[in-house]
Amino acid sequence: MPTLTIDDQPVEVPENTTILEAARTIGIRIPTLCYLENLKGIGACRVCLVEVENHKELVASCVTPVADGMNIHTNNQRIRKARRVVIELLLSEHGGDCQTCERSGDCELEDLANRMGIKKIHYPGEKKPRVIDESTPALRRDSGKCINCRRCITVCSEVQGVYALAPQNRGFKTVIGPAFAQNLDTVACVQCGQCAAVCPVGAITEKDQIDEVWEALDDPKQWVIVQTAPAIRAALGECFGLPPGTLVTGKMVTALRKLGFRAVFDTNFAADLTIMEEGSELLQRLKRAILEKQPVALPQFTSCCPSWIKFAEYFYPEFLPNISTCKSPQQMFGPIAKTYYAEKIGKKPEEITVVSVMPCTAKKFEEDRPEMCASGVKDVDYVLTTRELGRMIKQAGIDFLALDDDQQDSPLGLSSGAADIFANTGGVMEAALRTAYAIVTGRPLPVPNLHIAAVESLEGVKEASLTIEDPLEEWSFLAGVTVKVAVAHGLANARKLLEYIKAGHGEYHFVEIMACPGGCIGGGGQPRMTNNEVRQARINAIYREDEGKKLRMSHENPDIIALYREFLGQPLGERSHHLLHTTYRERSRV
Amino acid sequence: MIKKIETGEDLNTLREESLGNLLPRILSPEEAEGKNLPIQILVCVGGGCLASGSRKIVDALKDEIKQHGLLESVEVVETGCMGPCVFGPVAKIMPEGIFYQKLQPDDVREIIEQHIIKGRVVERLLNRDAMGKPIARRNDIEYFKKQKKIVLRNCGIIDPLKIQEYIARDGYQGLARVLTGIKPEEVIETVFDSGLRGRGGGGFPTGLKWKLTRAAKGRPKNVVCNADEGDPGAFMDRSVLEGDPHSVIEGMAIAAYAVGACHGYVYCRAEYPVAVERLTRALDQARGYGLLGKNILDTGFDFDIEIRMGSGAFVCGEETALMVSIEGYRGEPRPRPPFPANKGLWGLPTLLNNVETFSNIPAIILNGASWYSSFGTEKSRGTKVFALAGAVKNTGLVEVPIGIQLGELIYDIGGGIQGGRPFKAAQIGGPSGGCIPREYLNVSLNYESLAELGAIMGSGGLIVMDDNTCMVDVARFFMEFVQEESCGKCTPCRVGTKRLLEILERICQGEGEEDDIERLITLASEIKETALCGLGKTAANPVLSTIRHFRDEYVAHIRDKHCPAGVCPALVRSPCQNACPAGVNVPGFVSLVSEKRYAEALRLHRERNPFAAVCARVCFHTCEDHCRRITLDEAVSIRAIKRFMVDQEVTIQVPEMRENKENAEKNIAIIGAGPAGLSCAYFLARLGYHPTVFEAEHRPGGMMVQAIPAYRLPREVLAREIRMMERIGVRIETNKNLGRDFNLGELKREGYDAVFLGVGAPQGKLMRIPGEDSEGVIEALGFLKQYNVRGSFPVGKNVVVIGGGNAAVDAARTTLRLDAETVTIIYRRTRNEMPAYSEEIEESEHEGVRLMMLTAPIAIETEEGRVVGVKCHRMKLGEYDRSGRRRPENEEAEDFIIPADQVITAIGQTIDTTEILKDFELKLNSRGFIEVDPVTGQTSREWIFAGGDAVSGPSSVVEAVAAGEKAAVGIDALLTGKTHAFWRECKDSDVYFDPDAEPSDDPREKLPLISVERRRNNFDEVELPWDEATAIRQAKRCLRCDYRA
Repeated sequence: MPTLTIDDQPVEVPENTTILEAARTIGIRIPTLCYLENLKGIGACRVCLVEVENHKELVASCVTPVADGMNIHTNNQRIRKARRVVIELLLSEHGGDCQTCERSGDCELEDLANRMGIKKIHYPGEKKPRVIDESTPALRRDSGKCINCRRCITVCSEVQGVYALAPQNRGFKTVIGPAFAQNLDTVACVQCGQCAAVCPVGAITEKDQIDEVWEALDDPKQWVIVQTAPAIRAALGECFGLPPGTLVTGKMVTALRKLGFRAVFDTNFAADLTIMEEGSELLQRLKRAILEKQPVALPQFTSCCPSWIKFAEYFYPEFLPNISTCKSPQQMFGPIAKTYYAEKIGKKPEEITVVSVMPCTAKKFEEDRPEMCASGVKDVDYVLTTRELGRMIKQAGIDFLALDDDQQDSPLGLSSGAADIFANTGGVMEAALRTAYAIVTGRPLPVPNLHIAAVESLEGVKEASLTIEDPLEEWSFLAGVTVKVAVAHGLANARKLLEYIKAGHGEYHFVEIMACPGGCIGGGGQPRMTNNEVRQARINAIYREDEGKKLRMSHENPDIIALYREFLGQPLGERSHHLLHTTYRERSRV
Repeated sequence: MIKKIETGEDLNTLREESLGNLLPRILSPEEAEGKNLPIQILVCVGGGCLASGSRKIVDALKDEIKQHGLLESVEVVETGCMGPCVFGPVAKIMPEGIFYQKLQPDDVREIIEQHIIKGRVVERLLNRDAMGKPIARRNDIEYFKKQKKIVLRNCGIIDPLKIQEYIARDGYQGLARVLTGIKPEEVIETVFDSGLRGRGGGGFPTGLKWKLTRAAKGRPKNVVCNADEGDPGAFMDRSVLEGDPHSVIEGMAIAAYAVGACHGYVYCRAEYPVAVERLTRALDQARGYGLLGKNILDTGFDFDIEIRMGSGAFVCGEETALMVSIEGYRGEPRPRPPFPANKGLWGLPTLLNNVETFSNIPAIILNGASWYSSFGTEKSRGTKVFALAGAVKNTGLVEVPIGIQLGELIYDIGGGIQGGRPFKAAQIGGPSGGCIPREYLNVSLNYESLAELGAIMGSGGLIVMDDNTCMVDVARFFMEFVQEESCGKCTPCRVGTKRLLEILERICQGEGEEDDIERLITLASEIKETALCGLGKTAANPVLSTIRHFRDEYVAHIRDKHCPAGVCPALVRSPCQNACPAGVNVPGFVSLVSEKRYAEALRLHRERNPFAAVCARVCFHTCEDHCRRITLDEAVSIRAIKRFMVDQEVTIQVPEMRENKENAEKNIAIIGAGPAGLSCAYFLARLGYHPTVFEAEHRPGGMMVQAIPAYRLPREVLAREIRMMERIGVRIETNKNLGRDFNLGELKREGYDAVFLGVGAPQGKLMRIPGEDSEGVIEALGFLKQYNVRGSFPVGKNVVVIGGGNAAVDAARTTLRLDAETVTIIYRRTRNEMPAYSEEIEESEHEGVRLMMLTAPIAIETEEGRVVGVKCHRMKLGEYDRSGRRRPENEEAEDFIIPADQVITAIGQTIDTTEILKDFELKLNSRGFIEVDPVTGQTSREWIFAGGDAVSGPSSVVEAVAAGEKAAVGIDALLTGKTHAFWRECKDSDVYFDPDAEPSDDPREKLPLISVERRRNNFDEVELPWDEATAIRQAKRCLRCDYRA
């Protein structure tokens, strides 16, 4: 292990550690901008420069591996001067009006400039030309604010394997964006918003729908209700300075009421409903395959994640028959709210406005898909990200931290712990297995505390298997069958898994794919910055929520049982088919 | 059917078989004598000559040879680049070695019929030396003499498409030798010991790189050849690939063997189609002969090469970007470490060298490390190919031992600057390099000494620039280039160089700000320190380097809003006006003359320069040197047109005046009635002041009357212009000598608000040689003044004048008119270096003055205290000195004595400030002249201004006028707090001009002169005026660069 000295402190770190990482181990936080934890260094911004004795020039600490005997300085006149010039240059090209920028106060460039004590830009000049791209439902790009740090490219390529963004042109005219500097809707973007989640400035953001929601709330003719995704409650607190992983379910409900929503519901309810449908679908496929020996597309893939769906539509259309026909929980909630719930309160579908709060930008795309009008009108009207909800609460002057807890409304507010864990990687899989196993055997999943540990980690691709013993008679054909499942999160990992399956490996029955690393808790609409530490904290909170509930399995949710009894009949029934299931289509990549 | 070369024996056999056909090309004419060799006509089909039409020459030659039935005895050989692209298309007739240049298809018949058949060399197609003498043999041409060809050893000799010819030139022998008996480690040792350094620009020791790659873990290893030549003007790699591709292939194969690689890539830009095509064919041949592929020469060594084409991004010359590009991604650099030696292409250990480096390898292997390291300097061994481009006469490729002086390269090989203009600077190393100014013409071209001057060897691009180059504009150009080529990844390169460019653009626009230079330096230094890759780290070099060597030029742009080279459009109305120190509107008065509007023309001239008639006689006319018509034929005869103009003045033309009561009450003293003082007074008078001029002599005019002889400037001409000044309110008091009759303190006490010191530099410098104080030795200015002002001076029979300036020539021509029998000017350099105006030197010779150049006086010979001769030493020109001229050095020869009864010394002038200032304190500059603010002429005392020779040292009338004007504006600003220089405003000309019309095709004419016989014994004006028709015709030659649509 190389031993070196950083700012006169000796430190020993493993081979191939970067100077930046080595410094962090002894509590030295070298300022960074393009750096992204756990990813290959980019080395573009030149903010993290340090001095290595006997090196002629300064080196970028994020990409320079340590060497034995190095003597490094991270803070002296020369370094401060260089960093300042670099940040001044970035500020000089950055076309940001901080007063009107949504990233104001949450902007890494602003923060760096403040921390470096920059009071004047000594090299003013041409700003980057401003081209606004609002071509997609989920994302807004403002080239004028882009500082070419390339974080977006790195996540889009390395983490998501989508390659929608690339550097183009040269010199000052370099732009980051889709090929040929076209709009985002011309390329195979899956709208996951991971680019927006890592953008240090306001160059890529979610497309803000706050104003539309305010307008709806102010419209006395509209009955505006809200659903919140499972992942929101473990992250919303971060918008108000709470540490990642703080559960704020009760305060969130109170805040939503104060914002003026007529009823505060829970996407979790719809998640339970999804499990009913998707679990049944899986069992049906298995039945057809094993018992009836029919050609059936297996493994079945989960369908909750709209980015994954779009990804498959672009890159793996051959797997479209494998994807569960179930709509996502958000899109199950919408039609149920506008039919079942509407009837209950005596409203027509068009009198109800459904607002979703999602950790996800792709949900904005999903609600906009033309097929999502099962209720006769748009099933979901507006999608807000966690960040947008945070901003709305601030706009309303609500002191979030001082709020009392409250509970969601009935009938679409009650949910099981299985629904909570939809928020994280492996969760949908676990939730489905909890219900499916219980249906098949009449017994709970034979694992400690209902957790399938093998699918819960932050590992990119995970697998597990479960042998079914002693099934109920109806499912006797499954006796002794070992159900093999796989889970992938991050689309680059999904690619690996899909290629593996395509190559004839795995023989899985059920595969869960979530586009964002860590699942929805790491979604593109979550408070910034999300790293593995934050992801784990949010996941832990979600499991706490799950374990704190009496109801742990979807099929035990009484409101779900009532819904089937009063309205839907049975899973995969006629009404379900109409309201809760959908189809997919191959998309051209260009 | 190709017979595979399977062993070293096979290779030797093929060499022997192929050698015969090469004999006419490689034997000297003497060796070839009597061998009855066939004639081979070598035609360059390198990129340069192809572009100038060599393909047609080849076809025509083949055609004529056939028609004349010479197919048996004459062969046409298409070769790679011979070097001097400027002379293309070029051809050599072998074995005689006759070199023909600038060939046209029509010339071919003559070559065949005259030269080939009748043995008569076609003289008109030969190269010519500096004196215009034709040179037949290639080896006698200066361009080739100092070259040493290792990299280019086969270029221009072999047909690149014939592997046999390469093999006949010992090709692949190096590979055979290493494969059959030298361990890889020993190969590396040899390369290391040779001292070869990376020729792509970095200069990293090649052997060390090989050693590191060999030691690296990981397999398979790669060898990559960087053929992404991107420096503007550099094309040596292209020429090697086009002219001798096998040398690169062999070099790569040897490298692969040494480092343990089995696969190679040549990364070549797609803009080099000929290079790619020839390399492709060479690779096919090598494979066909078994010199690439599996089990080469039956040694178990496998190696093959593929070509990857890049689309010409400059950054792809950076090794990491190049490899990323080969891998199929956008060519952008990645951070190092890891270095390519450890993790290169596809993450595998990779050896990356450039074309020139690889091409050296076979020669080093065959001839040994010590042979190679015998060329060059201690730390920079071997040879380097340079691409001479720009303002140099002989543009093209040259290969010279490293360490050759820049001056030798430009003047001896390059033939000097086109049009005989002065050399200004050379940009070495392309956009990453720096410029070398004329003070460093003696710099040895090696890695270390170039780095010391802020330049780099780079890949050998060498752009020569003359005085028509603006260095700020050069920096701007390179920043523009960098902006177009920066990959945009790292902030300093993407934004930093853009900001540099913006600042430079602003400066060129005349919108520079006072602290811009410091801002440029700070930002450029930070970019160097912080950028990601080599391109970025060196991107700002041109800025730093031009500031370092040409800071004055930046200052001129920023402070004076003046582009000295006359390049920046926003600052330059026309090149002639821009070049005029006084800023006279040259196209304005010239075009008015063309419309016979003489009085208007003269008034326009006097807007900026009152001494129109004086300058019409004596001005050294920088305007003409910068006349754009030079690019067409010759400069407009501006001074001669002016002469005609002033001769038409009937009633004295007074300029526009601004009466001002307050100003009239101010007291301003002007000391010295020379051109500076009188001009200062003139401009002050036009603002309503009534300045008083104090003149030490009894006649006003300063040097104009004291030093310039009447045959150049008739006294009445000067007197008339001085009278014009008196008419507008300038008062002149003669016989008032500062320091003798009054002093500066008194002037202040007497109520003078401001004083201008225009006292000149009237003291002659001493030579400091024995006998200098003997009778009969006099200093030139004293002599001229005595004669010009007092009217007589005894002159000897045999006069020797020592010096090369105007004073020397004036003194010589004056003594000749005063009946000296022989007059000899001795000067220690050559005529080219003489500072005197060339017309004057020429006329002095016509009149009988003898010029003895390269002659230095070492003692005055005396008899009884009287001069009897000058003892001289022969000189020769040595290395370039700080003035950019060759330093005179003692020649080993006997001293000799020139008999003389009078010696006039003219080796420079200075000012004796103690005599005029006494104990009055005034800041002086390092050369002992008065220090002033360059914009206002203000001295260290607020109320005292100065200008002319007293400030600048000996200079010209027009520069004195400019200094006087500046000081007048400065004084006005001091007294009123504002600037009122209305004459500086630009007025548009109302003279008709049709921009679409063809320019006049009249040639330049000179003023007629009185015959030499009629000049003896009198001081009549030598130049005669034109008639009106000539003047108008000549005025119409003006291209009207001032015209704005």
